[in-house]
Amino acid sequence: MTKTFTPARPIWCAGCGDFGVLQALVGSLEELEIPPHERFVTAGIGCSGSLQNNLSCYGYHTLHGRVLPTVTGAKLANPELTVVGVGGDGDGYAIGGGHLMHAFKRNPGVTYIVMNNGTYGLTKGQASPTAPTGYQDNLEEDLDPVMLGLSIPGSTFIARAYSGQPAQLARLTTEALKHTRAGKGMSYLEVLSPCVTYNDTYRDWRTSVYDVDSEEGYDPENRTQAFTRMQELRDEGRLPLGLIFRSDRAALESLSLNHDYPAPALQDITKPDLSGVCNDALQSFIK
Amino acid sequence: MSDVKPVLEDLNVIVAGQGGDGSLTVVNVLADVLRGGGLRVYTERDVLSRIKGGITAATLRAYDGERLCISSHIDLLVAFDQLAVPKYAFRLNSQSIVIYDSSNGELPEGHGLPEGVRLIPVPLSRYAVKHFRRDIYKNSISFAVIGRLIGLQDDEMEKAFVKRFTRRGAQAVKYNLEALAVGCKLSDEAGLEVGKGKFEITSQDAKPHMLITGNEACAFGFAVAGGRVFCGYPITPSTDVMEWLVKWLPKFGGVVKQAEDELSAINMCIGSALTGTRTMTATCGPGIALMQEGIGQLGMAEVPVMIVDAQRSGPSTGMPTKPEQSDINLLCYGGAGDFPRVVIAPGTPEECFWLTITGCNVMEKYQVPVFMCLDQGLSQNTATMDPLDLAGVTIDRGDRLDAEQVAELEVYKRYLFTESGASPFAAPGTPGGMGLVTGNEHDEFGLVSVDPINRNRQMEKRQGKMESMKPELPKAVTHGVETADIAFIGVGMCYGVILEAMDILSSKGIHTQYHQVRTLWPMLDETPAFTQRCPNTFVVEYNYQAQLKKLIHSHGGNDENMHSILRYDGVPMQAKDLVNEVITKLNLKEDKVA
Repeated sequence: MTKTFTPARPIWCAGCGDFGVLQALVGSLEELEIPPHERFVTAGIGCSGSLQNNLSCYGYHTLHGRVLPTVTGAKLANPELTVVGVGGDGDGYAIGGGHLMHAFKRNPGVTYIVMNNGTYGLTKGQASPTAPTGYQDNLEEDLDPVMLGLSIPGSTFIARAYSGQPAQLARLTTEALKHTRAGKGMSYLEVLSPCVTYNDTYRDWRTSVYDVDSEEGYDPENRTQAFTRMQELRDEGRLPLGLIFRSDRAALESLSLNHDYPAPALQDITKPDLSGVCNDALQSFIK
Repeated sequence: MSDVKPVLEDLNVIVAGQGGDGSLTVVNVLADVLRGGGLRVYTERDVLSRIKGGITAATLRAYDGERLCISSHIDLLVAFDQLAVPKYAFRLNSQSIVIYDSSNGELPEGHGLPEGVRLIPVPLSRYAVKHFRRDIYKNSISFAVIGRLIGLQDDEMEKAFVKRFTRRGAQAVKYNLEALAVGCKLSDEAGLEVGKGKFEITSQDAKPHMLITGNEACAFGFAVAGGRVFCGYPITPSTDVMEWLVKWLPKFGGVVKQAEDELSAINMCIGSALTGTRTMTATCGPGIALMQEGIGQLGMAEVPVMIVDAQRSGPSTGMPTKPEQSDINLLCYGGAGDFPRVVIAPGTPEECFWLTITGCNVMEKYQVPVFMCLDQGLSQNTATMDPLDLAGVTIDRGDRLDAEQVAELEVYKRYLFTESGASPFAAPGTPGGMGLVTGNEHDEFGLVSVDPINRNRQMEKRQGKMESMKPELPKAVTHGVETADIAFIGVGMCYGVILEAMDILSSKGIHTQYHQVRTLWPMLDETPAFTQRCPNTFVVEYNYQAQLKKLIHSHGGNDENMHSILRYDGVPMQAKDLVNEVITKLNLKEDKVA
């Protein structure tokens, strides 16, 4: 067999929440029998931005904040790939925050996993958009990206896990990949992933997380109820986990592409159809 | 009625009014009729960055031969708003004719028209409102007056209207034809009866022509070259590239995605290109500025994306609808760090088509960003050209590996060191070809590395592409007299005006040549060498800082031999401007030279 790169050992600090995400992702990809050459994993900038080096896949290390545009472009060009975007909270909610709402709105067939630790670990601990008031003299209220996602009518899969609860994380990662592979569009999974060096929240989060999956009567297909419940739990100082919202809608690529043709990436373009569509286009300039 | 009328050889018409008056429609229909008569046409627009209002104009040149610029002499000004008359009066001379809307009375004093201009007042707006209760029909009424004046047949005009308005529905055809009839009646009253037109409009060259803009030609070239994904953000004057592709790319099996901003657009393009899909975006200066980080990523991560720059007046938001060529520095030098890129500068829509295809081949073969350096004039002005012979299209995707080829390798490395600098590429989805792509410095496998020896080798690999690709890049074209010691250099919309200036100079006995450089980066040796050889080279460009001339100088061009002709007021040059510059600068006496 042809030798390619050997997945590197993660460069994260011992105890980093990102280990849990990597393990869950690899486990889910294997569980769903997605072979390495069909995996297209794009990571942002930050500690989480090296995850693609640690598994066998086609990996891409994108610019800071540009995970979502990149994976959207990749999925449109080749929907047959299993496209996964990963990144941190600074990457996804600050510098790339503008893309998040458009990705929810577009609903491309990608799985987007955000490792949220509330801090910029790689630049030594500045407050991120999800840092609570008071962290590193942060005066601002923290952003709740789950509620942002719920507020956008196009969103189809919103979940949150905690790397301190690996069983649920693994299950939700698999659910997220399944949602996308079923052609339903973007699955967004936020993982509370503590930074042991600059914002060690294991102890706080262990007590404040709240599992909606096991709440009787919680209906993840009811957007209004989900939003209300998120606000209530936030007011109680809780961090909701679980499959928060799910709905059915066709993915961007299935709505955008001309299905009379193979996917753009899979067409043989070396022999243009000169007498067909090329000539039609030419004639349109003559008429 | 005179039997012998001059054959129409060169007609220049400005149609002006408020934005929304329909000036562009008049010019487009006129262009269509005249090219049906065998003439070549060229149209230009002078518009503002607003949807309605302000004085705007569309200009047409119909020529028996090829001209890619408007003449210095305007034969006819059609003014829907009397304020347009003083604005464009300087373009007219004593032979010119002005048709203006006299609904609100005669032209007031101070219109600035040269003496001898023939005035044809027509109450266009009044009749439009009277017959249709809609002011907008005045442009269709005016068309009849223009047609009668220049010598179009009434039935030709009707045919053109049916063709133009059919896509807007039967009502539109009906009302516009009625407006045309109203116009014919008004023409009769103004003494412009059938058969009294100024010209004989012959059809010697009635073979079909394409009517196309540079933007459209780039888009068409991209689609034919196998381009399948376009991601962009609307920005004047590049948007027509996306508009054309929205309509056509799905028919080629491709897709267009409008992004939320240019940061997203370039990164969507990167995502698409990473899958091995031919990918393009189009923008102009402010968009290129926003895309800079992504463009550096293309260079570093070795991802091929084509970027069309329809340059407009800068800096910053500048004058969005006006031409400039002031992104040359940005295209050639922009971005953090050192990386290879290609900047191609076509001069005509035909070159936009062919060089887009060349550019697509080069970008995939060498895995670099390629810029198509256009400007508002080349991007948006329409020109006739002979139908393209598509049999000349060739596609070269470089060294791409399929599953079998990968399987034959002992080891696959995404950034393998090679002679040319480009590494074989296995697209995601290819079994066994897994690789890592990153904008961080990396080793051959794509794993992040700061090892100094590896760093040097990777840097040299990437930069080495610039030499490897040179033989495949578009070379300069020489027009005119190759031995002449007076020459022009200029790109984009300078093309047409330089060629006309050369003809005028030639008629005065002054022989010149045009070294039409077509690759700005990497600059080919031929251009600096040319300026060493030719003692009087006028470098014509639309910017303040002489960016093209400095680019040539920095590559060994002879600064003493180069003289700048610069324009940055947002107004297209006229051939006579160039002629005067040459004669004045070189202190030539026309009669002596002749």
